[in-house]
Amino acid sequence: MPRIMVVDDEASIRMLYREEFEDDDYEVIEAEDGERLLERIAREKPDVIVLDIKMAAYDGLDLLQEIRQHHHDLPIIISSAYGAYKGDYKTLAADYYVVKSSDLSELKQKVKKALEGKVPVKAKAER
Amino acid sequence: MTCGGGEENPEGVKQAEVVVGIPSCNEADWIPFVTEQAAIGLATYFPGYRSALINCDHGSRDHTRSAFLSVPTPVPKISLATPAGVTGKGNALRSLFLKALELGARAIVVVDADLRSITPRWIKNLGEPLLAGYGFVSPVYVRPRFDGTITNHFAYPFLRALYGRRIRQPNGGDFGFSAEMARLYLESDLWDEHVSLWGIDIWMTTLAIQSPYRVAQAFLGGPKIHRIKDPGTAFNSMFVDVLYTLFRLLESHEETWTQVRWSKPVPIFGLGPGENESLPPSQANEEQFHQACVEGFARHLPLCRRVLAGEVLGQLAEVARLSFEHFELPPDLWARAVYDFAAAFHAGKEPRADLVRALIPFYLGRACSFLKSTRGAQPHRVEDVIEQQCLIFEETKPYLLERWLETGSSSAG
Repeated sequence: MPRIMVVDDEASIRMLYREEFEDDDYEVIEAEDGERLLERIAREKPDVIVLDIKMAAYDGLDLLQEIRQHHHDLPIIISSAYGAYKGDYKTLAADYYVVKSSDLSELKQKVKKALEGKVPVKAKAER
Repeated sequence: MTCGGGEENPEGVKQAEVVVGIPSCNEADWIPFVTEQAAIGLATYFPGYRSALINCDHGSRDHTRSAFLSVPTPVPKISLATPAGVTGKGNALRSLFLKALELGARAIVVVDADLRSITPRWIKNLGEPLLAGYGFVSPVYVRPRFDGTITNHFAYPFLRALYGRRIRQPNGGDFGFSAEMARLYLESDLWDEHVSLWGIDIWMTTLAIQSPYRVAQAFLGGPKIHRIKDPGTAFNSMFVDVLYTLFRLLESHEETWTQVRWSKPVPIFGLGPGENESLPPSQANEEQFHQACVEGFARHLPLCRRVLAGEVLGQLAEVARLSFEHFELPPDLWARAVYDFAAAFHAGKEPRADLVRALIPFYLGRACSFLKSTRGAQPHRVEDVIEQQCLIFEETKPYLLERWLETGSSSAG
């Protein structure tokens, strides 16, 4: 069962994602902020991360850079209420960018696509 | 290994761990500024390393060489020049690979000689990841929407869809590479005439993606300001070299790209807040592109009939009948046309040079369509359009695989 780590400081969003993704046979891990996130990723080994940008104590785009430096191939999907961040070059480090909506079909589609992604040569290269 | 062509090494440099190479051809008015900025970058950000600046010239008829050597800098300079009659950026960089290895360089940064927006931080951002273990560093910068047309409409979406790595400026001209990569480039048997000219940047990027070494990107801020060539004229030869190189490499790397699905981002270094995104006004002549597309399609129609799938040909014929006001060459049609040509290149039944030239009108048509649809758009909106085009190239990739298998292969023309 693929594991999704949802990093979002809003409990209602985490709950919504949990319900929706568990219904689709994903395992959901919640993180309410960036506290010890790298350690958690190393320990819990998610298959994909859904990451908020504007969190009370953390900047999701900084977290994105930090995760990417350590996990080159871990799929990360930005899920933000703000479309304007799409213009920020930091988002290039994410696999996909989804604007938050009560309809999760786009997010689900991107999660599926991120998990389907296959780049065999790079797996060899990033040693 | 010896360095071909003429060399001037007035300070007798024998060792350098960090090297900045500046390829040039008739850049006497531009190179002093780039030299100054690169020298400050080396002195400021790599003070504990032996460093050198190397101008590798390819056929300048002005005084580029003396303009470079006469700039007062805190780091030593070496001037290399290709032998008389030998031109091409690729040939110039080959002399840099040799010299950098001879000096024992660990990190080699290359910046174009015609830059106006370069700052010393470019050297830091392109060089530091190399010392941290990366093999190749590609640039990311904000560019005017009429600049980087080959990158935006062909090199980036094609490379990304084929090899699965999102390298935003694979043909950017400014990059960094390690000694291991320099050795790999020198030993590669995939060098050809097109690589020795303008195909070099995309060749280096593609080989880096396929190499055992890690690839990163460096954010260089924006906008990139340099001597902009008109995509409708001077860029034709560059397009031919880039396209020929990418198509040819598909054959060498068939076993890997056919296994790739979708794409993955590549780490980016050097991102900071408050980047300047104001861009100069558009200078491209969209109507000229439209005209070149329509005329070129008519000129290459017999070849197009043999190469393009029936549906693609029919749709392109309709597009070519549209007036400038209504003209639109959509990205999905562009992607299928590129893939049809790639398959035909592989099949080897048509002269490859003809194939590559016949795609130019559609490239100009796509550029025209893009420029029309992004008039007055902010940089992030322009990036959105480019991203959509990339996704279409990825989604359409099964079409290439189908065509590739259909056409098979024979000897290259």
